[in-house]
Amino acid sequence: MNVQDTLNGPLGQPVSRRSFLKWSAVVGGTAALAGGGLKVGLPAAQAAAARAPTAASTGQWITAPCWHNCGGRCLIKAYVVDGVVKRIKTDDTHPDSVEYPQQRACVRGRAQRMQIFSPDRLKYPMKRKNWAPGGGNKELRGKDEWVRISWDEALDILASETKRIKEKYGNAAIYCPGGSEVQRALALYGGYVENYGSTSRGAWRMGQKPIVGATTQSEINDRLDLVNAKLIVMWGNNPAWNTSPLAMYNFIQAKKAGAKFISVDPFYNPTAAVLADEWIPIRPATDTTALLGMAYVLITEDSKTNPLIDWDFLNRCTVGFDKDHMPEGADPKENFKDYILGTYDGQPKTPQWASQICGIPAEKLRELALKIVTMKPANVVFGWNSARVEKAQHMCLAVITLGAMSGNMGVSGGAFGVSCHDTSSNGGPMLVSAGSSGLPAIKNPQADVRLCSSEHWNAILTGKYTAGKGKIKDINVQMIFHGFASKLNQTNNINKGVAAHRKVEFVVSNHYVLNTSAKYSDLVLPVTTPWERPGTLLAGNREIMIWASQVVDPMFEAQDDQWIAVELAKRLGVDVQQVAPFGREQQVFNQIAGAKVMKPDGSGTETLVTITDADIAAMKVQGKPQQGRIGIMELKERGIYQVERKFGDKLTYIHNKAFRADPVKNKLDTKSGKLQIHCQELADLVTNAGWNQGYPIAKYDPPTDGYEATFKDWKTQTKGDYPLQMCNIHYPRRAHSCMDNVSWLREAWTQELLMNPMDAAQRGLQQDDVVRVFNDHGSVIRHVTVTPRAMPGVVFMGEGAWAEFDADGNDIAGATNTLSGDHASGPDVESWQACVVQVEKSNKSLTPDAQWKPRVVFPGGGGNV
Amino acid sequence: MSKQLGFYVNSDACIGCKACQVACKDKNNLPVGSFFRRVFEVSGGEWVQRGKTWENTVFAYNLSVSCMHCQEPLCMEVCPTGATYKRDDGIVMVNQDVCIGCRYCEWACPYGARVYNETTHTVTKCNMCADLLDQGEQPACVGSCPMRALEVGELSALQAKYGMADEVYPLPTADVTRPAVVIQAHRDASLVKARGGYIANEDEV
Repeated sequence: MNVQDTLNGPLGQPVSRRSFLKWSAVVGGTAALAGGGLKVGLPAAQAAAARAPTAASTGQWITAPCWHNCGGRCLIKAYVVDGVVKRIKTDDTHPDSVEYPQQRACVRGRAQRMQIFSPDRLKYPMKRKNWAPGGGNKELRGKDEWVRISWDEALDILASETKRIKEKYGNAAIYCPGGSEVQRALALYGGYVENYGSTSRGAWRMGQKPIVGATTQSEINDRLDLVNAKLIVMWGNNPAWNTSPLAMYNFIQAKKAGAKFISVDPFYNPTAAVLADEWIPIRPATDTTALLGMAYVLITEDSKTNPLIDWDFLNRCTVGFDKDHMPEGADPKENFKDYILGTYDGQPKTPQWASQICGIPAEKLRELALKIVTMKPANVVFGWNSARVEKAQHMCLAVITLGAMSGNMGVSGGAFGVSCHDTSSNGGPMLVSAGSSGLPAIKNPQADVRLCSSEHWNAILTGKYTAGKGKIKDINVQMIFHGFASKLNQTNNINKGVAAHRKVEFVVSNHYVLNTSAKYSDLVLPVTTPWERPGTLLAGNREIMIWASQVVDPMFEAQDDQWIAVELAKRLGVDVQQVAPFGREQQVFNQIAGAKVMKPDGSGTETLVTITDADIAAMKVQGKPQQGRIGIMELKERGIYQVERKFGDKLTYIHNKAFRADPVKNKLDTKSGKLQIHCQELADLVTNAGWNQGYPIAKYDPPTDGYEATFKDWKTQTKGDYPLQMCNIHYPRRAHSCMDNVSWLREAWTQELLMNPMDAAQRGLQQDDVVRVFNDHGSVIRHVTVTPRAMPGVVFMGEGAWAEFDADGNDIAGATNTLSGDHASGPDVESWQACVVQVEKSNKSLTPDAQWKPRVVFPGGGGNV
Repeated sequence: MSKQLGFYVNSDACIGCKACQVACKDKNNLPVGSFFRRVFEVSGGEWVQRGKTWENTVFAYNLSVSCMHCQEPLCMEVCPTGATYKRDDGIVMVNQDVCIGCRYCEWACPYGARVYNETTHTVTKCNMCADLLDQGEQPACVGSCPMRALEVGELSALQAKYGMADEVYPLPTADVTRPAVVIQAHRDASLVKARGGYIANEDEV
């Protein structure tokens, strides 16, 4: 057989074997490089692990924490032999079935070994070389050298700077945007300025409660009811990338059962690639207009002979739809229906009106509106991203309003609302959950001084912050304590954040790697990961509770955040006993002892864990024996408790079923007890936050950096300086900014700018060209991927890359917050999906991320990996 | 009929998450740049402007690819030392003690499954986690798949359950080496490049 004549190459044409082998040639070449040049190889990392004394005995599978805020929760176990972690596996604690599925981990969980033992783990406390009390040369933050110091010196610096700043400026000069452990010490020392913001949830975080009376993550039925849906609309909803993969598995069951899928999204995302019968591209931050245009279709086409609207539900269960159903005291002219018809503002919200903003053809909007009311029951489920937009409270109102009209709320197979994060595809009360750690709360005496994430860097730079409507107050932050998280990288406008970090007198970070916050600090305190701590309780979907154990001893000189808080408290002279009245072991025990599980008939919870006196003695904790479903040692060994489900069981949850049946008897926790299509409470929350005007109905209010901002003249449709919208997407390479350093993930997911071929052609861009993406907030250099999966006019980049600025101020890592603006809006929305940019070819060169040198600070001294 | 183990790959359910790829790297301790299993993304389709809006024919799918443990393995045919052999259960193995690192097999394999190890100067590849199979466990990739889109088993049994398809774009034609695989093609997939489809993630595989 002539091989060369018969092989089909990557281009699909019969080609020579040699050209098909371009795939493997690339692989072979990279492998050679990896073997010869890179310093990130696994054997070295494992050697580091081997050097550390380890807690576990030989040849044992230990439930390991996969703890990040990835939007899901799964089970991983680590195989430890002679103290070295040999490999990872996922859930095999019981046979796999649709009703009782294993909690299988995603790519990040499978790569955890490369994170825990990565060469860039922070090994020792360290200070900036040019640091001096008061800051020294503050401009060098982010580019200075590091000096290894002892824990004593590090803690003394931390305490003395905290004292100095408090004495000179007061407690309101200390900003601590994260870290529950160190916050306890600071609270006892007179307090600190708190951070607040919507983070992932956008306008839903504060908007959901006044509209629907709940603060649950999702407004949907549970997963076993999904198979009853005839139509599932995934609206800005990509569970393949933004939650546990189990959510996708649940949706696939619905597809197998015959549901039709429609994806409404600017990106032909992997969820759509697997599920969607139809993809409807929509411009970012314009979703409300589409929903309003659909409402117009239903309102104007509904009739006795062609009933489209669920009037029964609207009349009984909602307020504010029309002038006859207004809440007490509201202006009847402010009803939703007349807003849609343009009765008072002269602008009917027709599909044509919506189309010119959202980009969906008017006829397609009409078709979609009719589908959600005729292919019933329909699940129309939204991610949070469409409300992760400045001033987007109208999005929350529009979703609930159209949902109430559509007749899909409170019925089996139906849903209309958010399906996101841990509860994606699986709504309803938790069926199993851990108890409290028992740590008593400590009041922060400065709690009335808070900075919103969308304003904090500006407040530090200008000395002014917004404390409410008409309340612009003075503030003088001189110390930033990143006790946790990654606020510099993960809140809007990194360039402004860097300037703020270079302004204050002292910056300190607790972290296990040199993330962006740590990089711009004066003092960095290396902390343990949960793999090095005595147990971690993890919540996920409603059916599981994970009890992960300690896998290895602390790496190098890393310490628990709680230990740091205690040592700080000692030096500040505050009550150490209050900071940590008991240790982690006792805290974990308390969580386990307090764990509750739903009774099989759904009538209430009962104690989960059986504990004997012998268990208490063996665990060296304080406690009382108790009787539950599973022995504490068996649970620890298993690492997970999962409630076994069956189709048709009594744990099946239909959201708002009782409310739909009798809204008088089963009131929602809203002002009227009903769904509030007109919601004055939300309008007041928005207005009183101090940044923008709130409206009680779903009145579209475009964001500063939305689609409209791509034009310099909207009327003549003349494009402006930043003619493209940029959408930042959750990206499987990392969980927000966590794990961006992990080599196996870096090679699996390149961080590129995704762009439609038409937009690329207009700019003369080819696949893999280096491009500059820029706007007034910053500039990013990345490779471009030209793909039809990106809709025209919109570019995409994964959020969470660790910003890395070159000498010209370009972020060569591609952190989306280098480009996102800090446009604050009420109540506390952080805006990410409203962003406008220009893209041009760059003459810079860029090394593939997997070949970047990791941020190893001290290669020597026992940490030479 | 002699025994032949094979993989079932459901491209129609694959979300391209690469849990299999990394579970494989974890099991086999593979450095950056080395893959025994890779997930290809195929994209395609076009956009047509209609007034101020667009219509499109965009599609995308994922395909997880490893050594196919072929029934007529070219790699074995070209191996000058006999290092490459088939176990009784059909798994294609490389005896690391006999391999001289000539890399002929790497050139012969139409699936790009062979990986040269710069440290040992030998060629390595997927062995279907033979050690795990021998202990009655699943290969790392199969046990990892969150969509349950990968299976391992007797090829004839997989064919009886899922059909005979053993090729799909961008794989080469199957009659060269007779891969021990059953593929459930994605609804938008075809045997050859069509509708403007192309490998969209060449720099990730």
